[in-house]
Amino acid sequence: MKGQWKRFLLLRGVELAALVLLAAVPLAITNPFALALLTLLAIYGILLIGLDVTVGYLGQVNLGHAAFLGIGAYCAGLTVAILGWGMPAALAAGFAICLALGALLALPALRLEGPQFALATLSFSALTTTVINEWESLTQGAQGLQVARPPVLGVALAAPGFYWLCLGLLALVWMAMRNLLGSRWGRAFEALRDSPIATDAMGVGTYRHKVIAFALGSSLGGLAGGLYAFNFQYLQPQSFTYELMVILLLGVVLGGRKSLWGAFVGAALIVLLPNLLSNRLLFQIFSAIGLGLAVFAAGRGLAKKTTKPFQALAPVVATGLLLVGSLLVANTEDWRKAIFALTLFSVVVGLPEGLMGFAAAALTKVFRIASAPLPDAAQLESVLPARAAGGEPLLELHQLMRHFGGVHAVDGVSMTVSAGHIHGLIGPNGSGKSTAVNVISGLYAPSGGEMRLRGKPLPVGSLFKVAGCGIARTFQNLQLFGELSAIDNVMVALKDVFHTPVPLVMLGLAFNEERQARAAALTLLQLVGLGARARVRAKDLTYGAQRFLEIARALARKPELLILDEPAAGLAQPDVAELVKIIRRVHELGVTIVLIEHHMDVVAELCDVVTVLDGGKVIAEGPAHVVKRDPKVIEAYLGAVATEVAQ
Amino acid sequence: MKKTLIAAAMVAVSTGLLAVQTFAADTVKIAITGPFSGGSAPMGTSMRDGAKLAISEINARGGIDVGGKKMKIEVIERDDEAKNERGALIGQELASMGDLSGVIGTVNTGVVLAGDKYLNEKGITKIITPAAGSQSMTQWARPEVKDLSIFRFAAHDGIQAAMVVEEAINRKLTKVALLHDSTNYGVSGRDDLLAQIKKQGGKLEVVATEKFNIGDKDMTAQLLKTKAAGAQAILIWGIGPELAAIANGMAKIGMKVPLIGGWPLSMSNFLENAGKNGNGTIMPQTFIEEPITPKAKSFIAAYHKAYNVKRIPSPVSAAQGYDAVLIFAAAVKQAKSADTHQIKEALEDLKDPVPGVITTWQHPYSKWDPAKEETHEAFRREATVMGMVKDGQVVFANDADRARLTKAAAGKGK
Amino acid sequence: MDFSVIAQMVVSGAFMGLIYALVAYGFQLTYATSKSINFGQGELVMVSAFFCLTLTNLGLPYWLMVPGGLLFGAVMGLVVERTAVRLALEQQSEGWILLTIILGLLFFSSAENIWGRDDRPFPTPISADPMQIFGVDITPLEISVAVGVFAIMGLIELFKRKTLLGKAFEAVSADRDAAELMGISATGTVMLSYALSGMVATVAGILVSPITTVGPTMASALILKAFSVAVVAGLDSGFGIVVVGLVLGALESLASFYIGSGWREAPGLVLLILALALRPTGIFGKAVIRKV
Repeated sequence: MKGQWKRFLLLRGVELAALVLLAAVPLAITNPFALALLTLLAIYGILLIGLDVTVGYLGQVNLGHAAFLGIGAYCAGLTVAILGWGMPAALAAGFAICLALGALLALPALRLEGPQFALATLSFSALTTTVINEWESLTQGAQGLQVARPPVLGVALAAPGFYWLCLGLLALVWMAMRNLLGSRWGRAFEALRDSPIATDAMGVGTYRHKVIAFALGSSLGGLAGGLYAFNFQYLQPQSFTYELMVILLLGVVLGGRKSLWGAFVGAALIVLLPNLLSNRLLFQIFSAIGLGLAVFAAGRGLAKKTTKPFQALAPVVATGLLLVGSLLVANTEDWRKAIFALTLFSVVVGLPEGLMGFAAAALTKVFRIASAPLPDAAQLESVLPARAAGGEPLLELHQLMRHFGGVHAVDGVSMTVSAGHIHGLIGPNGSGKSTAVNVISGLYAPSGGEMRLRGKPLPVGSLFKVAGCGIARTFQNLQLFGELSAIDNVMVALKDVFHTPVPLVMLGLAFNEERQARAAALTLLQLVGLGARARVRAKDLTYGAQRFLEIARALARKPELLILDEPAAGLAQPDVAELVKIIRRVHELGVTIVLIEHHMDVVAELCDVVTVLDGGKVIAEGPAHVVKRDPKVIEAYLGAVATEVAQ
Repeated sequence: MKKTLIAAAMVAVSTGLLAVQTFAADTVKIAITGPFSGGSAPMGTSMRDGAKLAISEINARGGIDVGGKKMKIEVIERDDEAKNERGALIGQELASMGDLSGVIGTVNTGVVLAGDKYLNEKGITKIITPAAGSQSMTQWARPEVKDLSIFRFAAHDGIQAAMVVEEAINRKLTKVALLHDSTNYGVSGRDDLLAQIKKQGGKLEVVATEKFNIGDKDMTAQLLKTKAAGAQAILIWGIGPELAAIANGMAKIGMKVPLIGGWPLSMSNFLENAGKNGNGTIMPQTFIEEPITPKAKSFIAAYHKAYNVKRIPSPVSAAQGYDAVLIFAAAVKQAKSADTHQIKEALEDLKDPVPGVITTWQHPYSKWDPAKEETHEAFRREATVMGMVKDGQVVFANDADRARLTKAAAGKGK
Repeated sequence: MDFSVIAQMVVSGAFMGLIYALVAYGFQLTYATSKSINFGQGELVMVSAFFCLTLTNLGLPYWLMVPGGLLFGAVMGLVVERTAVRLALEQQSEGWILLTIILGLLFFSSAENIWGRDDRPFPTPISADPMQIFGVDITPLEISVAVGVFAIMGLIELFKRKTLLGKAFEAVSADRDAAELMGISATGTVMLSYALSGMVATVAGILVSPITTVGPTMASALILKAFSVAVVAGLDSGFGIVVVGLVLGALESLASFYIGSGWREAPGLVLLILALALRPTGIFGKAVIRKV
């Protein structure tokens, strides 16, 4: 307990000290330009924290954030000009409108990944600029809008006062986001990024979380926008374009993704950049330092063979160009965009974790701060209560069909899975096993036929809805949340555990719930033998451990029916034996299991009933030892010649 | 601990950067600011280069005589990129520099509006050139503004709009179309034109008013509308390469009517991009790149040589930048000080004439009176002529003007 | 409203739409092999146009300048592939989105400084004086745009359907590893697609510059429209891109006439967002089946 308090004090104390330091600046330094820069730093800090939600946590290239800054700015400014509101109301207006617009934009953007998402956000940004520009009766268009800085609760704010307001809001946002992103929300956002399919299948709606993440990030952009408006007191549409967006991306990436401190460092860099560029000597020093770092990292990476030659050399070339350029060009200001580009390039290729990621990794080695200790595991009973399963029909398939154009992958499959059984589903490659299971779990909608769960029709075509019915699954090709730790993977899927509403989460009042969830997740990890590797990142686990992790994660759903899609694929023999034990243990708890497998001995050992598919149709069904000898089954696996041999 | 150290270091570095803005002690620091990139860049760079030409000539002679001591001029350049928020930041930055003697520059009205308030707050002397939008000075025309450290050195739109409307009336036109860009400059230019049309007897009917955005390349929509409305001339107020797109667009739809407008029509990017479609375009100018006086001749030659060009990208901006420096230097000399407040006092009451490229300046400014912006405007109607585009050059539209200026220069024996 | 005016707007707009389609073709080429597109394609068009301008100013006649420019475009395409795309493809990540944006920015800044920030006229032997065809003013320049665009597109379609190399494009995009096992160099094919895409960018630059003039910002307006065309039509449709381009160009023109010139951008942007929302694979594209 004492260690926990010490750690808590250290991390929080550090943040508090930084806040106090920054707040004290106006008392020590009277240079108004310095104060103006620090105010801008606080504003950009809020802005970048918002951007980090989509870029860092969701892992998408969001090109629309600058537009939200603009929308928030104009909203806040106009509510003051037209409605005469005070500052808190104006800021809230900017926040709320961007929250709504962000959710609205997320609706078309929600189904998109990668380049399409980037394009959708880019179009939105361009559209916003056009609307602000053309709606002259409201916004004064390209001539610009003069904005008066309204009072806060009757008190007019001059320079230090406004700075403290911005700093205060930054602190609030910081605290709220830290709590939120460390809770199930942050995990859900990251899960979304790593595997949207698994996220849906584990009952965490990809749709709603993406919309919420984007709306949240945009609303922070809107809040920053309001502050921006009251800071400059003059707005024009051309300020919020693509060029600003690239600079914001630079800040987030350079500072470090998925990190509040990274957003802060990034904001500091953005604010200082113009000053840096206009002072040639300073710029030369910085590019020299950058070059040194790049060479160092390149050497180390090449020696340890952790980086490819291109990855090591490209940042060296880029920073080298920066240094050479700084010595040769007449005016560094003219080459501003090139300097951004080269810096961003070096960081994206050579330092993908950003400065804070790099610094944190380096410093944890030096300071050796132990990670938070895990709570004791919960009782298995409370995590995965045993069920009484009496053999009644649980899942019924009737003439199920799934066609892909001319390919009839599943062509009239009828099957009944009884509660409490381990039901094997086997067949040669391409027989339709995985497709059938994908239809059941909701990845595909059926082309025909019926599916019933406990007599009621099963929802079709939606992994999320099916997950909500008590069906959980694993995947033939692993769909883990690679960047999350093993225990976090399981925690994402935990069912009926997280009840705290968002505002309370932001205030940090969900820690009890978190602790219980962590304990429950640990129990499940211990069930599959991964208790000691709880904090290891999923993608760093051994292949066998990864397979078991998927099972633990599926169990977190407290499923009635567990579908295992080739869980033994690629496993070494000792792991296969371990797998069999795990499946037995789960079976003892009354969970019905559908098992797709190629390992015949596993099937024979575990399954009560086996259904055999070939060419999308059922060719045999019955106990394993009977089905094994069925000539049709042998023919399907081995071909016609073998039937002669069998006879 | 770790992350705070980094953050604290950043804060320290940033405040350090700002606190440490020291310069050499015995120079006159002048900041030159304008758009050195973007669509207005020809004007910004020409203004800067003209000003720097004057500065290098002064420095070559040892500097300005400040109460017996010769002080050289040191230049600080800031690119505002024609963006208002850059203007605001630059204004704040310059306002916080302890020993700045003055600021010269700015081309875009919006940038002026965003940044000058910080300078005036600290009483830092600024000479706006070549920004011509009326709002740059009318923003101060409030009774509570008793003192102003901002001056303008350009033919403002009040003058230019009057000349443009006059030109249309002199040509016996009755129906005109107004085209303007959507910036502060374009919109206030339109307002100035409308006010002038009314003031000059309402003889012109405005059959169409169209606007275009910065960056637009295709003006067919607007031009078709003006053609359909029967416009006999197009009066245009814009500040970038869009002007050339209009000229080309007019040729494309076979619209052969006069194009008359604000002074940026003399910019190099208009001349080059409009090509032969620009011939005959008329605009007010304070300086024509013709060596009609000895001073003009030496200025043009020196500019061409120093910057390796055959044609000054924006002759008006260059000449105004040059003369603004001369006037500023004269104020420094009269004030016997590099202190910006004393320079302002001197500027408001320049006793000796300043022989410039454009003309010889006699007492260009007087004490600020919010009811009369003219007190801080150096140009009057007489100093402005009409220029015309001909074969890629800007020449005098009226030979009478050329003759008058040549004679005036000869009369002074320079 | 006057029919001839509407016709004029539609026709002028449609010609511009063909340029969007041509740039969109550049996207299609690289998407076909690697499911990646160059977000800095606009800057590529611009830099190639500037290069051709320099060649012309150095005295090269038009018919020598074109192949010179094409070579430059191909080289620049290869540069983009090597520096911004290959690493991400090897890591099977989408890092090329950010990296091509960055490279585009670098090109932009370099162009600003090498050639200056002004817009310059682009010389062409084809006249810009309008002719009257069916009551509509059309310049030979615009006709050359149409001819150029259709020629390039025809060539590309021929390439994709009739040549072995064209089939290799599809193979690599469908399954990179399998294609390699069949003896097709995935990297080589991707390189070729980027080189071709660079050449298409050059052609677009040469065709559009006489109309819009050459300047650092010439491409930024073009590129979003090209994206719209590519996405609305479908990144793997062939002729659909031409159709969508024509329609978009005409719509833009009409929007700028009837609603206001500032709203010219709006149809393209709204269409893009709608298309992404309703049918991400495009009107003419093929639907994608997820495999788990």
